[in-house]
Amino acid sequence: MSNKLYAPIILLLVLTFLIGPFIIIIAASLSAGETLSFPPQGLSLRWVIKVFEVESFRASFGVSMFLAIGGTIFALILGIPASYALSRYKVPGAETIRTIVSSPIIVPGIIVGLALLRYFVVPFNFGILFALFLAHTALILPYAVRVVSASLTNLRSDIEEAAVLLGCSRVGAFFRVVMPNIRGGILAAFILGFVTSFNQVPVSLFLSGPGVRTLPIDMLSYMEITYDPSVAALSALLAFMSLGIVFLAERFLGFSRYV
Amino acid sequence: MFQNRAEAFALVLPAAIFAGAIFLVPVLILLSEGFRSADSWTIQAYIDFFSQSLNQAVFLRTLKLAAMVTAASAVIGYAAAFAIVNLPPKGKGRVTGLIVLPLMISPVARTYAWIVILGRTGIVNQALVAVGLSDEPIRFLFTETAVFIGLLQLFLPLMIISLISALENMPRDAVPAARVLGANWLQVFTKVILPLTKEGLVIGGTLVFTGSMTAYITPAILGGSKVLMLETLLYQRVTMANDFVSASVIALILIVMAFAANLLLKRLATARNKR
Repeated sequence: MSNKLYAPIILLLVLTFLIGPFIIIIAASLSAGETLSFPPQGLSLRWVIKVFEVESFRASFGVSMFLAIGGTIFALILGIPASYALSRYKVPGAETIRTIVSSPIIVPGIIVGLALLRYFVVPFNFGILFALFLAHTALILPYAVRVVSASLTNLRSDIEEAAVLLGCSRVGAFFRVVMPNIRGGILAAFILGFVTSFNQVPVSLFLSGPGVRTLPIDMLSYMEITYDPSVAALSALLAFMSLGIVFLAERFLGFSRYV
Repeated sequence: MFQNRAEAFALVLPAAIFAGAIFLVPVLILLSEGFRSADSWTIQAYIDFFSQSLNQAVFLRTLKLAAMVTAASAVIGYAAAFAIVNLPPKGKGRVTGLIVLPLMISPVARTYAWIVILGRTGIVNQALVAVGLSDEPIRFLFTETAVFIGLLQLFLPLMIISLISALENMPRDAVPAARVLGANWLQVFTKVILPLTKEGLVIGGTLVFTGSMTAYITPAILGGSKVLMLETLLYQRVTMANDFVSASVIALILIVMAFAANLLLKRLATARNKR
């Protein structure tokens, strides 16, 4: 087999299959025509501008941002101490705790959303937004614990023992010695949590009510009504947002080291 | 290692209680609904569920599509991973980056692109009509083919990454050695590459299989109500008929599948560490 030709052809085909659709979606979103089409009928930014004018997109973008940022912060507040305990202490039943904390990643999101709706929102009159917040936090928690644990494992534990021996309190040693050293891992966990939460659909599927729904859910229901190119434009914008975040993260902290 | 138990619990309990209360307990209650009848426990719901031909069809279709996507991604994955591993280091990093890139983008956006491509006025149909292969647009959307293509695009990167790391861990001269000893490429693949990269294949395959089994967005957008899969069926049962018993049955099927796959992964990971 001629190896020289084989590799470029295979890679060209695979990359076209994986990335080509985005190029098409970007082109389609720049169309001047009324309907979704490729090649675009004339060029214009009208559909990109339309995205910012649709009221429900603005509202659901706000909800998604709140969940992605707030949920990730809350997941880190719960996850950092847990990861610290799991890596530095002999915790009885550590394996069980690890399984419980990481189970939201294994169980399909649609089931989590349905269970929360049925046993929290309906009987206890929880607000939808509050339930969404809890669900997204639970979903991000496994990522937070995994990434932060990895950074803690790479950090030698004798430096904080040294700090304690030198008279620093345990809490002081954590904030002054451990935290600065795992900052990169925490930031990486934040970005991973943000992207995961922002793109999440199944968990939020059942948890949507009047005025409260996440952006991807809003896009899904918008698509059922109309096939105009604004969803393509929004998809392209979101893709650029995710890529921008990942690019900056990679550039400034070598994101891929942590994930 | 610190030994203080009280401290350890104080640090770890908030996360564990949160995950348990928000997640574990509600899901367990939901699962128990599938086994409840008026006054006792029963598996009647499961018998009823599988006695309906629609449910059987959806269950089998989900398994079939997941298996097909896994098989296709394994074949393409080996071809791609093999090409990537043999690239010079700089090119390798860049191409791997491009392969991983789509994973960061919203699955809704990724799936939506296929509507533009496969729709009635999409490029595939335009090309078919222009070339004269077909007189009128062919229906691709809302067929199993469309769902298959969408799922393959969604999960192929996971398989490629798993196979890249498996191929990189393979002894470097294994393939040249087999060639020198007279093996043809088919023999090299089945006798050398496959056994040495089996774990990577299983890891990638499990990720792709469970991902496809539990996919919602792709069958919802590209399959609609014509090509239901387990998750879209669950959604439909709940929103259209308030049928929480069927939902519970489907939930258990999905969870069992997901946990079985996860267990398999874990076992393989520990087997590898021991060596």
